[in-house]
Amino acid sequence: MASKSLKNLTGPLSGNNPVIVQILGICSALAVTVQLKPAIVMGLSVMVVTAFSNLVMSLLRNGVPSRIRIIVQLVVIATLVILVDQVLKAFVYDVSKQLSVYVGLIITNCIVMGRVEAFALQNKPWDSFLDGIGNGLGYGSILVIIAFFRELLGSGTLFGFRIIPESWYIAEGGFYSNCGLMLFPPMALIIVGCIIWAHRSFNKDLQEK
Amino acid sequence: MKFNTNSNTYIIIYSVVMVVIVAVLLSVAALGLAPRQQANMLNEKKTQIVKALGEDPATVAYDSVITKAVILDASGAVVSEDVAEVFAALNDLKASFAAERYPLFVATSGVVVPLYGAGLWGPIWGYIALGTDMNTVKGIVLDHSGETPGLGAEITTPKHQAMYPGKTVYEGDAIVGVTLKKGGADKSNPHEVDAITGGTKTSDGVTAMISDCLNYYKPYFDAARAAATEVEAESNTINE
Repeated sequence: MASKSLKNLTGPLSGNNPVIVQILGICSALAVTVQLKPAIVMGLSVMVVTAFSNLVMSLLRNGVPSRIRIIVQLVVIATLVILVDQVLKAFVYDVSKQLSVYVGLIITNCIVMGRVEAFALQNKPWDSFLDGIGNGLGYGSILVIIAFFRELLGSGTLFGFRIIPESWYIAEGGFYSNCGLMLFPPMALIIVGCIIWAHRSFNKDLQEK
Repeated sequence: MKFNTNSNTYIIIYSVVMVVIVAVLLSVAALGLAPRQQANMLNEKKTQIVKALGEDPATVAYDSVITKAVILDASGAVVSEDVAEVFAALNDLKASFAAERYPLFVATSGVVVPLYGAGLWGPIWGYIALGTDMNTVKGIVLDHSGETPGLGAEITTPKHQAMYPGKTVYEGDAIVGVTLKKGGADKSNPHEVDAITGGTKTSDGVTAMISDCLNYYKPYFDAARAAATEVEAESNTINE
């Protein structure tokens, strides 16, 4: 495993992050980030799907008829997503209920198909697998950051545990109230914007001249 | 060896083989995991029923509190006592209600009625437990598919559900259920709890759901109440 392979894994974490640099997968980043726990499970599920769809498509890459390659990609991705959904339903029923339709919607996540089309079809299986893991992690890490702020400021909890003391709230005679806007998708978009802003200020090479 | 991967024959064979492999794979997964998934779903229903009765599902088993599960018809008569049939009716409660088949769980300490209604964005459902007087609420469990987190979705929190026990659903001979009152409940009114702030539509949905669903069971409740009053009257006569 040369440093080039390692780069496939680490690149998408920051410099080539799918969410904040390529601006992909925004839809689900807004939908499942109200609380930390579903955000983490969603990140892991996407990682499994990107990694294995990259692996499978990379193994098939020389035999796939290029005229129907998009259909083949969709079939592979959809199969993996259904498998993930079934496994979640059988083993972590609570979480699968919380994520509801969003697991199924991983199929439409642009990151998955984007990586298959842009990377796996031209690269060897191992590199593709790492690229998938890297992109899944890059996506998941942004979800976790967004969910951290949304759950803390919107509900006053983290992982469902109360962080902001009950006695601070106005209803209990305190001075504090939760930011209701945090619970709505537009606020997630604003947080994504702030992350992009911070990220680009630290990474000058990402800025256009 | 080099074949034309873009010839029609190759594409057709490729697609057929791919579809067959995927179909087999998914069928095996679905069949293999089905028993676990169904057990999860059944277990969740039982947990919620026990919770509605105000018991802790972690320590109290479903079988130890529920004596029988029945399906009633519109006149309150028992049409089935088959447990599997009752749980099957819960899977599509909307259709069961429409077909005038009303599932009911009879516990040692009262009854548990399944609820189904409309929230703001989608269906809401749950269970409400009444005491043996068929009037006092023992507890409630509410769930939803897509209410706004932090607003309508607050109906699922223990804080909200803790307001119901002790409320009564009968006003005279009519079932009024429990009303989620916007702006805060009148403490002296036994049929009111606080509505969810910012979740008025969902709160209205819960109010309507409770009264609609309980009214389906009215003949059964009335009969049970009449029987209870008779017993009381008889014991009074004996005392005299």
